[in-house]
Parts: sequence; C-alpha cells; structure tokens
Amino acid sequence: MDYEALKEQWSEMEDRDGARLSWNVFPSSRMEASRLVAPIGVLYTPLKEKLDTPLLQFEPVTCKQPCRAVLNPFCQVDTRARVWICPFCLSRNQLPPHYKDITNNAIPPELHPANSTIEYRLSRPAPAPPIFLYVVDMCQEEDSLASLKESLVMSLSLLPENALVGLITYGTMAHVHEIGYDECAKSYVFRGSKDYSAKQVQDMLGLTSAAMRPGLQAQPGRPMPMGPASRFLMPVQQAEFQLTKALEALQKDPWPVANDRRNLRCTGVALSVAVGLLESSFQNAGARIMLFAGGPATEGPGMVVGPELREPIRSHHDIDRDNIKYFKKALKFYDNLAKRTAHNGHVIDIFAGCLDQVGLLEMKGLCNSTGGHMILTDSFTSSMFKQSFVRVFEKDGDENLLMGFNAVLEVLTTKELKVTGLIGHAVSLNKKSVSVGETECGIGNTCSWKMCGIDPQASYGIYFEIASQGVPAHQQAPQQGIMQFLTYYQHSSGQFHLRVTTIARNLSGPAGDPTVAQSFDQEAAAVLMSRIAVFKAEVDDGPDVLRWVDRMLIRLCSRFADYRKDDPSSFRLEKNFTLYPQFMFHLRRSQFLQVFNNSPDETAFYRHVLNHEDVANSLVMIQPTLDSYTFDQDGGQPVLLDSASIQPTHILLLDTFFHILIFHGETVAEWRKAGYQEQEGYENFAALLEQPKEDARDLITDRFPLPRFIVCDAGGSQARFLLSKLNPSTTHTTGAYGGVGATTAQTIFTDDVSLQTFMEHLMKLAVSGTT
Amino acid sequence: LQPQAGAPQYGGYPQPEQQPAQAPGYQYPQQPPQPGYPVQQPQQPQPGQPGYPTHEYGYPAPAAPAAAGVGGITQGMGGMNLGAQPQPGQPAQAQAPRAAMNQLYPTDLLNQPFNASELDLPPPPITLPPNSSVTPSPDANCPSKYIRSTLNAVPTTHSLLKKSKLPFALVVQPYASLHDDEDNVPVIQDQVISRCRRCRTYINPYVTFLDHGHRWRCNMCNLSNDVPQAFDWDAASQQSVDRWQRAELNHSVVEFVAPQEYMVRPPQPLVYLFLFDVSYAAVSNGLVATAARTILDSLNRIPNADRRTRLGFLAVDSSLHYFSVPKDEDENGEVSQLVVSDLDEPFLPVPHDLLVTLSESRQSIETFLTKLPNMFQNNQSNMSCMGSALRAGHKLISALGGKIVVLTSSLPNLGVGKLEMREDKKLLGTSKEGALLQTANSFYKSFAVECSKNQVCVDMFLFASQYQDVASLSNLPRYTGGQTWFYPGWHASRPEDALKFATEFSDFLSSEIGLEAVLRVRGTSGLRMNSFYGNFFNRSSDLCAFPAFPRDQCYVVEVAIDESLTKNFMCLQAAVLHTTCNGERRIRVMTLALPTTANLSDVYASADQVAITTYFSHKAVERALSSGLDAARDALQSKVTELLQVFKKELAGGSMGGGLQFPSNLRALPILFLGLMKNVGLRKSAQIPTDIRSAALCLLSTLPAPLLMRYIYPRLYSLHDMPDNAGTPEPETGHIVLPPALNLSSERFVPYGLYLIDDGQTQFLWVGRDAVPQLIQDVFGVEDKTQLQVGKGRVPELESDFNERVRAVVHKSRDHKSLGVGSITVPHLYIVREDGEPSLKLWAQTLLVEDRADQGVSAAQWLGMLREKVMQ
Ligand SMILES: [Zn+2]
Ligand SMILES: [Zn+2]
Repeated sequence: MDYEALKEQWSEMEDRDGARLSWNVFPSSRMEASRLVAPIGVLYTPLKEKLDTPLLQFEPVTCKQPCRAVLNPFCQVDTRARVWICPFCLSRNQLPPHYKDITNNAIPPELHPANSTIEYRLSRPAPAPPIFLYVVDMCQEEDSLASLKESLVMSLSLLPENALVGLITYGTMAHVHEIGYDECAKSYVFRGSKDYSAKQVQDMLGLTSAAMRPGLQAQPGRPMPMGPASRFLMPVQQAEFQLTKALEALQKDPWPVANDRRNLRCTGVALSVAVGLLESSFQNAGARIMLFAGGPATEGPGMVVGPELREPIRSHHDIDRDNIKYFKKALKFYDNLAKRTAHNGHVIDIFAGCLDQVGLLEMKGLCNSTGGHMILTDSFTSSMFKQSFVRVFEKDGDENLLMGFNAVLEVLTTKELKVTGLIGHAVSLNKKSVSVGETECGIGNTCSWKMCGIDPQASYGIYFEIASQGVPAHQQAPQQGIMQFLTYYQHSSGQFHLRVTTIARNLSGPAGDPTVAQSFDQEAAAVLMSRIAVFKAEVDDGPDVLRWVDRMLIRLCSRFADYRKDDPSSFRLEKNFTLYPQFMFHLRRSQFLQVFNNSPDETAFYRHVLNHEDVANSLVMIQPTLDSYTFDQDGGQPVLLDSASIQPTHILLLDTFFHILIFHGETVAEWRKAGYQEQEGYENFAALLEQPKEDARDLITDRFPLPRFIVCDAGGSQARFLLSKLNPSTTHTTGAYGGVGATTAQTIFTDDVSLQTFMEHLMKLAVSGTT
Repeated sequence: LQPQAGAPQYGGYPQPEQQPAQAPGYQYPQQPPQPGYPVQQPQQPQPGQPGYPTHEYGYPAPAAPAAAGVGGITQGMGGMNLGAQPQPGQPAQAQAPRAAMNQLYPTDLLNQPFNASELDLPPPPITLPPNSSVTPSPDANCPSKYIRSTLNAVPTTHSLLKKSKLPFALVVQPYASLHDDEDNVPVIQDQVISRCRRCRTYINPYVTFLDHGHRWRCNMCNLSNDVPQAFDWDAASQQSVDRWQRAELNHSVVEFVAPQEYMVRPPQPLVYLFLFDVSYAAVSNGLVATAARTILDSLNRIPNADRRTRLGFLAVDSSLHYFSVPKDEDENGEVSQLVVSDLDEPFLPVPHDLLVTLSESRQSIETFLTKLPNMFQNNQSNMSCMGSALRAGHKLISALGGKIVVLTSSLPNLGVGKLEMREDKKLLGTSKEGALLQTANSFYKSFAVECSKNQVCVDMFLFASQYQDVASLSNLPRYTGGQTWFYPGWHASRPEDALKFATEFSDFLSSEIGLEAVLRVRGTSGLRMNSFYGNFFNRSSDLCAFPAFPRDQCYVVEVAIDESLTKNFMCLQAAVLHTTCNGERRIRVMTLALPTTANLSDVYASADQVAITTYFSHKAVERALSSGLDAARDALQSKVTELLQVFKKELAGGSMGGGLQFPSNLRALPILFLGLMKNVGLRKSAQIPTDIRSAALCLLSTLPAPLLMRYIYPRLYSLHDMPDNAGTPEPETGHIVLPPALNLSSERFVPYGLYLIDDGQTQFLWVGRDAVPQLIQDVFGVEDKTQLQVGKGRVPELESDFNERVRAVVHKSRDHKSLGVGSITVPHLYIVREDGEPSLKLWAQTLLVEDRADQGVSAAQWLGMLREKVMQ
C-alpha cells in the first residue's frame, strides 16, 4: 500500500475509533521496538463524537475477574457452544442466556467488525445531576465585572434544568452564597489569609450537622434532598431567580486598596472552600468548579505574588534563577487541592480574564488533574472569553451537555503489549494489572486513570512497550496486538456510560520487517513526541529537553533514512517520514518548549491545550498553517511557513490554533488604507480582503478556546505574531552574510536557525552515525 | 407623702416637740379611725383600732431635747446668707466659728426598734459654718441625691476616724434621672472653666476670692489662682456679667461645656451594637422577636439629636451573622447577611455598612428588624459563640467606642470565652459555692479591660432558662460601665414577661447616657481617694474609666484621711468628664462641703445609715466574690458588732442598760445589715441558683442608694386597711399618697389582709388566707379567691374605687422618679395567696427580713445576738 492509501486508512480508523497510532504495525520483539526510536503510542479521543454507531442500552458482557475485558469484534465466538474467548487473557467465557439466538449471521452489535468502538448506557445512575459551582473574583474593574456577571447570568439558561448551581465570590475574603435563603442575601465568609482544612470548611458551612438539634425536620416547602449542602447548591430551575439576583447584585470587593498595592485576592481560599463544599456532600458526583479569575492570588494560601505593586509577579527568568518567593508553596498548595478534587471526581475550570498573569502556572494542576478547561483571556469583556465560555456548555442533538463527568479510563492489552503511561489531563488510579509495563512514560505504573472531566475533544497520549522477546520461529502468520480502552463516565443525561474501543494491529514479522517503517504515522508520532517533550519540560530544564528532542530526531533519521554513511548529500527520507523533522523543528521553536518569550501563565495555558487536543489540532499548534491570498487565484493557497511567503501584494492567513492572524502585505495595506475596496471597479480587491476573513471565521467555528483574532499590516506592531512563527529563512544575518533572501521577502530579526540550517545539521549528524 | 430628698430640714429628730405633726416624717391622718376593709370576723385578731396600725413604732421622745438651738442657728445662717452679700476678697473663713453639730440621740434598739418609714428620711443635715460658701445660694451644697457621705461630720484626724470604726465614703450618683429634662442641672455654656493650677479642682461655691476678686483661693489645696478674664464677660452678648450670678458659684452641681483641650479626639457618636443570640433557645423563648420589635419601636427614642447615632447588628449561634445594612439612598441596597464561622480570630467580613448611621439607614434598619425574627425562626442550633461575637463586635466598634448590647438566652458554649455548665446543686450553700460566683474564664476579665481601653461598654441582657454563668458574663458590664440585666426563665408568650422586658429595654435605649467618661474625685488637702466601687475600670489610683456612663448606677468612693484636717469644713469634688450622646464634651461637677469635727459624738450623730449600708453593700459584694459568702456575711456581722461596741464604749459610757444603745440616726443600721445578709445575693441557703445570686450581687453593687435600701429592706404596705387618702393624689402635688410603710415582719400581717411587698425588683401582692370575698371582688374582679390567678400577673383595671387605689399604690411604689433616681426596672408583680402555691408564698416571705426563716434569724434574735456580743 502506498503512503496516501495508508494515510487514508489511518484516517478512517481515526474516525471510527478516535485513535491515531505512531506505529501501525507493532514490532514483535522488545529488541526491535527499541530500534524504533519514536514511541509506540496512541493518541486516543475516547468520547469522539460518533453518530453512526448505536448506543447499546444493556450492560456489557465482560470477561471474568480480574480481566474484565468487554466482548468485542476481535473475540473468537463459538456461536454453537455460546462461548467466547477473551483475546487478552485467553479465558473461555459463556455468553449470557439472552445471547442464545446468536448465529454467524446474527451477531450482536458489539461483535460487529465496524463497531470496534461502541458505547453502552449503563443502568447505574449518576448520584446527582451535574453541578456547577461558580467561583468569581470580585477584584475587577466595573466593566469587566459587569460583563462577567452578564455571561454568568446568561449561562444559567444553558444549564440543564436540574443542574445544581452554586456561587462563591472572593476578593479579600471568600463568600459562599446561600442561594436557597429567602430572607435576604446571605453568604458565609472565610478569611482570605487562612488555610482552612476540609473539616473546618465543612463545619463552618454547617455541613456537618453536629451543631444541629436532633430531630431536625426539613422545612415545609424547602426540600432538602441533598442534605445541608443543598442550601448552597440548588437546581437551576428553582434557583434561577435568586441566583440571577445574587449575580446582578455582586459588587466590586469593598475593601480599600492603596495606590501602591494590588487587590487582596484569596483565590486559594476560595478554591479550597469550593472543593470542601463539594467534597462533603457530593463525593463522586459530577461537578465543575468554574473559577473566574480577574488577577493573581495575592493573599493567603496559594498566593502567587505579594500585594505590593513594586513586587513583580514571577517570570520564567525568575523561576530559572530560583528567585521565587511564593512559587513552590503555591504550587504545592494547588497540587494538593488538585489531588483532592480529582479524588472527589470533580472538575476545576479556570477562566482568566486579565491582561496580567493570574497564576496559571501555579494553578495548572487544578485543570490538568481534573480534566478542567483552562481559558486565558485578556478580559471578561473580550469575545474570546464570552464565546469560549458559551462553548463549554455546548449540547448534543438530545440537548445533553457535551461533557462527561467522573471519567475513568482503563487499558487492556494482549500479552505482547504493555502500557507504560498516559500523558493528558488525568491522574493515576494506581491500578496494577498484567497490562502494565515495566517502564514509565508520563503517568505510568497503572492501567487505569481518572480524568474526571472529559469532553468529545479530549485526547490522551497513551504509550506502550513491547513485552515479547521475539516471535517463536514456528509461528508463521502475523499475529495481532490488541488493546482495549474502557472509558466509564457520567453522561450529562444522568446515566453512566461505558465507551469501549478495541484496536488491533499486526505484529511485525521477523526482524527487519519493512512494514514497521511503512506503518509510521509521522503526524501522530510528532504529536505523541510533543506530549512527551512537554511532559519532560514540566520537570526538566528547557535545554535538556531540546537536546533530547534533537537526539531522538537524529536517531530516528539515522535509523529510517536512506543514506551513505558520512555523506549528508545522500540523505533521503521515505514519504511517511519527510515531514517529521519539520514538525520537530517547529516544536523546538514553539511556545511549548521555548518559554522565554511568554509568561509562565501563557506557557501553562499552551501546554494545557496541547495536552487536550487531537492529532490535527495539535499539529496546527506545533506547526501553524499559513495560507496566502492574492489576485487571480481562487481562495487561499497553503504556503510555506517561511518568511519568504511574505509578499507585498499578498494577504496571509496564519493559524497557530491560539491566534488567527490576517496579514496584509505592504501594498495590500496601502491600497486598503487608501480605501480602494470601497470604490467602484475595485470589487476584486474588496473580495480579496474579504476571503481570508471568511476562511478565518470558518476556522474559528469549532475552535476551543476561541483563538485571538488579529488583523495587521506589514510593518505593524501586531505583525510580530506572524514573524515569530515563520521560518527565518531570511534573517538579518543571512542578509549580512550574502543576501540569500529575495529582496521582496521580509527579513526576520532573529538569531534562530532557519529550517534549512537545521536540516543541514540534522543530515550531517544523522549520517555520521554518532549520536 | 414622701419626704423631699435633700430637703434642708432633717426630718425631725431635732424638733419633735415643736412640730409634732411632722415629727416622724409622716403625717398620719388625725381623723377618727375608719373601718378600712370590713372586718367581719367576730374574733378580731387585734384588739386595737381596726384599720390603722397602732403607733407603737412612733418616734421616741428624744432624751436630750437640746435641739432647739440647732434649728435656731440654721435659721440664723439662712438669714445671714440671705441678708449679706458675699464680700469678694474677704479673707477665708479660717477664723469662722465651727458650726453647731448634730446632736447625738441614743436610742435603745430593743425597746425602741426602728420604723420602716425612717428609711425615707434625709440624711443627718450638713451644718456648715456661716459664710462657708462664696454665695448665699441655697444650692451651694451638694444634694444628697447626687452625693451622700457616710459621715456628714468628718473626723479631723485619721485616728478619730479609725476610732469610730465608721467608714468615710461617698456614695456618688452623678445623675438623678435617665433623661436630662428630669434632672435639671445648670449648664455653663461659655467654656470658661476655671480650675486650680495645682490640684485641678473646678471653681465652686466654696472657693474664696482675693485681691479684689482677681484671684481665687482653692478650697482644696489653698493655692491662689488667677480669675480668668472671661469669667466676668459674656463673649456672646459682649457684655460684662455679674460674677455672682455664675452658676458654678451658686450651684454645687453644674455641668461645664468643655472646650477642645478636654478631648483626646472629636466627640464620638452614640453607638449601639446589638448582639442577638439567635440559637434555638433565644428563638423559641421569643427573645429575638421581642428584642427586634422593641428596638424597632424605640428607634425614635434612641438619642440622636446630632443625627450621628450609629447602630449595628450581629446575630450569634454557632456562627457570627453580620448584617450589612445599606443607606436608604442606595437604590439597590438590600440588607445582606454575612456568616462567619471562623471563631478563633473573628474578623469583619466587609469593611463598611456593618455599623450604620441611624438617620441615613433608617428604612433599611426598620426592614432589617422586621425581618430578623423570620431569618432565624427555624434555627435549630443550640450553640452560642457569644465570646467570639464580643470579640468581633469589639473589632467592629473599637475605633469609635460605644455600647455592645448582648441579648442572650444561652450559655456561651463555643469559641472564644467558651463556658461550661459548672453549677453543681450539691455545692450550693457550702463553702464551695463561692467559687461558682467567680469568673470561670479569664477572657471575661481580660476582654473587659480591652473594651475599657477602647471605650467599649458591654451590657448584658440575660434570659436563660438554664444555667448561663451570670458570674462570668457579668464581668464585662462590671468593668466597662455597663449593667447585667437578668430575666430568669423569661418567655415572650407571657405578656408580663414581654411587657417588662420591652418597657425596660426601650427605656434603656432612650437613656441619655454619657460616653468616653472618666470620674475623678478630689478632696481637701489631707484627703485621699482610697478605693472605688462600682461598674467601671479603675485606670489609675484615682481615675475611674467608663466607656459609657449610665444614669442608673451609683459609685462608692472611700476616702482616707492622711493628714489632719485643720479647717472647720472640708470639701470633696466629683467630676465626670464625658461626651453627651449628642456629641458634646462636658464635665459634670459636684462639690460637697462637710463640717469637720474632733468629736466622736459628732461623727456618730452625723453618720448616714443609708450611705454606710450602701458602702458595706459594695464591700460585701467584693468580699463575696473574693472570699465567699460566709466571709461576706461574717464581715457584716462583725462590723455592726464593732460599731455597737464602739458606741457602747466611747459614747454610752460603757453601759447599755438592759437594751442595746445606738444613735437614733443609725437606728436602722443593724436591721439594714440583717437585710443585706438576708438578701438573695448573700443569704445563707442551699436553694439559690448561682445565676440568681450573681445577678443579685450585680444589683447590690450598682443600685442607687434609694433603690438599694428597698432591695435589702423591701417596702411593705398594708392595703386592705390603708388610709382614705392612700392611693389617691395628694391635692397640692398630684403625687399619689402611699400608705405608711410597715416593718417587714409577719407579725404585721392579719389573715384577712391584702399587702404589697416591694423590693424594687419584684412586687408581691399578698392575699391573706381569710381575705373576704368583697375584697377579692373589689381588687381582682373575681368572686372567690380560689379563682384568683396566682403568680406573675397584674391587678386588673376595674371600676371599683378601691381597685383604682390599689393599682395606684402598686404603681406609685415602683415610681423611681419620685425617689430621685434613674432606673429602667419595672418590677414584676406576683399575686400570692397565703393559702396558695407554697413556693411562691415562701419566696414572698423571704422578703420579710425581720422574720426568722430557713437559716436566717429574726430581727429580735439578731438584736439579741448583737447585744450578747456587745456585752461580752
Ligand atoms: Zn479476559
Ligand atoms: Zn487646688
């Protein structure tokens, strides 16, 4: 099969199973696996929307303990004996009695080959309707607060009627609003400077009813189905009026702030109170804590910067130099909170609406461990915030929210494969099984992870190793390696669901089997590599990670390129490898690994998003797309992400996933400023200006979070967003050293190496055989 | 008929023969006796005249009728003063003759026991030498309602005082009413305040002018001071004024409006912070609703003339519930409730709107008070973190100072200052009982000191049906100028309870208290203010601090004589620097001049038994709290014994005859001491709950003297046979005439009688077991006494004349205004049937001080015991 056909096949499988593998043929021995360089892994999107497969309304048939694999198309079924053999543990299992009518022609849907991914609706109901607890920063300018209030009020109409909502506001102190209280506005206040234990929070909210007289009767007309916490979390349909009133009445934090100081903002206390509130009464019920932060925590546990303005918030340089007063303490505080939250099965989303940093770096664990969203915007007045926020509440055709709660993912493998870890928004459940590998990649040493929040886009990098020492000689036919992904989650309709994906791939033949190299999916591999690189970057020094990326690339090229030793000019890559070095080139330069041009918060945000997206979106982040528009050309043309693509009469549309940028070439900009587009006879120019805008709108449609949209002209200050992404083929150095670049092309002021230089070095090193 | 307090004539000891009608201070009608209430029984218990008490306790004929001279001299003094203009610059009265002293009239306590009505007599007159005061004003000396001295003739030396065994102390009660308009004291507006440079005494009627009136000599330290230029000049009208008209030279009690230099900071506004217990106990007994309603109804009564008065509210159960009250002008403003459960270090949840200006937030406050009971109507919490609430409240108002008013039905059992149920019934009546009267948690003392420092006063309104630890809680009022008000077993569903509290609380709120006050007492050189008693914090040796200055308490200052007094009279000056509740800084100055004497007999003849008893009441409370009840009672007994011994040895020539001799002006003292020892606060008993005792001790150490006398020797009136004019207005004054007071002995009771027993805190209407149906019908409107509702109640309003008179007497008996004191107390009236509920009857009988009861001796036994000891 040629490369294009293979790509087509992988794409179909991705559509069916939500999975892209780096290697689509598994090496059959550990030795061979070690020579692949690029990890064996899968980027899996468990809840990828699937409209064509049925939702099974019965409980799955499972293998006996401890295997618990679910009946799937790769099982051998003896229809006459009504027995199936589990491919993972090779046990024989009786089919349940109601499968008695099974024949080779009438098989149940889960055995149908097309249903390698299928979903069950389980009989187990959710313990409570979905819960949304808004945690709102009150230290904001009036307009920003007003806009946020508007968004929050509006969001009530997006929630399911039975959803429970609650409100916590914070500033100098944290207030838990008792929305079920009729007599007046009422809130429980927590000191912003104090680290409250879970027990204290619960006692202070009166959730432990020890202080109550015995024989307390529920008040008539005020049902208390959820216990005392129902005073703070009420069904939307019941509380909409009070909550709207409470939201509208919210006022800026009333405590005075001196000119030389920041607002006191006890984000840490507010979050710990929110976690404590849910923890006591809604353990393992689906719940989202949505934090709306207008600035950094400056008070109490989890503070990221002191209240004095002359003290700047930490930068990457400060962290690098270990010049950080609060960082480690805050990180520890939020990580602990994240752990608790994940343990409780709850989600924390962070919406930052602030030009400055809010401390996402410290708080990132809250989202990353609980499957929450992290949305970084300049202000709550921005459409980036407003639309992204609305997007969170998107619904499916049945009016169910497109979000799952309390998700748990378990991986089963046949004996050749062992799972080494997962990289994505999840925590380990520390479950050991025969499928767990010896090495660790990402969150390892387990076959099961808890992700709490999950959505149809959420994707996880899952990594494997090969366990077998080699194919026994007597076995001729290539066997398959099989992995099964079981995703249990609370569907927003109120039932638990189980999504089962079973993936089988051939095992390679004897050593040197060329099908392995041919099965390399460079896109998936690049994304899986990126996740590892980012994972490493979280703990290792930046330069170490870059060296690792380089080393891996060189080794991969040495292994799979065609060349004569020590002759770079002879270097050739197969088609399915050609783009991989470029991806790595751009990954090295990307904000994921080059942090110093960004704030720590931005870094945390970018990395968070990368760890959530599927292969296609991740690739856009790693290597942005660039389209060029000009006259006499139908629509945009993809062009190289290179400074050479900048032309005076062209418009460029850059998509970095986070930014969508329209760049008017020098001439185009002049014409536009002169207003030609409004003059008769220049309709084609008007149309040219319009085209990239339309395409940009299309790109934005499905994008979450909403990207920042920038329109700029050549020479404008905003153009730096474009220039920072382009390959510096024409830098000021190249000009000075020989004027290679075309005179029309843009000169980029950078000391980065260009792609060409990079490739030259790569080829030289790859062919040298010294890594 | 009440003797006029501070009347210049001393009741009548000196002139019994000249004015026999007024001799004992009472005017018994000289009409033929009328049968009061029909006495139908054939066997009349007393052969005497029906209807009127026999005059067996009439005043004794004085043995030494030398008093005419005193009267003459007094007359003469008046004449001289009126006739002669004071001569400015005339040398002081150094050479002036000593004033004639009160004569000593010994009586025999056994044969001529005291009569209850004597307690209403004014103290022995103060007879100063002629021309002691710089103006001839009749108001030049301090009326006894403001200051009573235990000794109206002061020993010139410490040794004489020591020899007398009498205390030298002042009973100071700077205010005679809750409201200024009932207590007219001249106010000096011009801010010309002339004070002695050395001892800081305020200029007063007893200074002397020198140097053609340009200088004045201090009557305390003798320093001569410049008379300020402005003293004779009215800046407002730009005219010179007649110095001799100045109030401070004519009145012993004046109030100066203070200039800037008397302020550490601008005058604070009046601040009331209410701490409502909203736990189950306080909700279910109706406290929250009644208190909220009363505040709501009293908003117009709370002093607010300067429109700066501020109110705040805090509800307390297991948490602190703050209320942010918006200004009325805030369109979207709504009251919001902020709950803080972090009790270790209470904090304010918002920076403002927790303490709001009454005038600016009137509507919001009304809305809030209307809603408050509903907010907690279903509260099931049985926790109270009142100590933490006090901390929080202190935080809230400490910048301004003001009053924290605690309204609680619970024992604070959570948070700061947490208390425990520590009362053990087995300990009552034992030597261990004393410990229960002490503070259980040091918070209540240390916090009180903190409050005092920040001008915060705490008042406790306590309503528990169970043990509440009044002993601990009362510390806060004690050291901050507040008061402890105790309503045991109170329940709003009983109209009497609701009405009593609502009336008292409303009067409390209306009272024109002072703020940020200090009391200092100065005296003539050689005197030293030795110790102070009352509810305040003694900040330095002679300065008492009052975050708020109440108008219904008195203070006792003990004076030491360090150096011999050389002049024939001496002066004491009490000054209360305070901020009025209208934001004016003022000084109330009271100057008392007393003659001096080197003669023990004079000292005894001028001793004031009421002031002495008041002094010892404070001492007894102090002793009870420090060393226990036995010690307190023992000290009282040995003191009275000691006095009798001194009298016998030094003044009666060592002989007592067959009786027990004592001066007539001190004749009540042994019985008052007996009353004090039998008071619920000090009585030997194993039946008295600690809280009741503690509350009584609070009263014993704060009540103004006239009320204290009632509290330890209650009033007893016989109603069924009261004189015709009793219960009707006196024609000249319109004041209701009371029947004669009877001694507190069951011997005074007839079985068919109707009596009122009144100790100022509680009134008992006693219906004799043989009371005739007509009496029952006339007074209560029921046919038979079995239909009588006993217990807490009231006399119904009926058409009958007798009913009206009984009600008038009951009402008049509670009228503290006529006693010249401010008080908010409205006593409960209990209807007691002699043959009804035994416990109620027993309770009423405990007020019969002269009876023998439980572990207490009768008056006769008491006097017999004393005689024995004196004879030893
Ligand atoms: Zn199995
Ligand atoms: Zn002086």
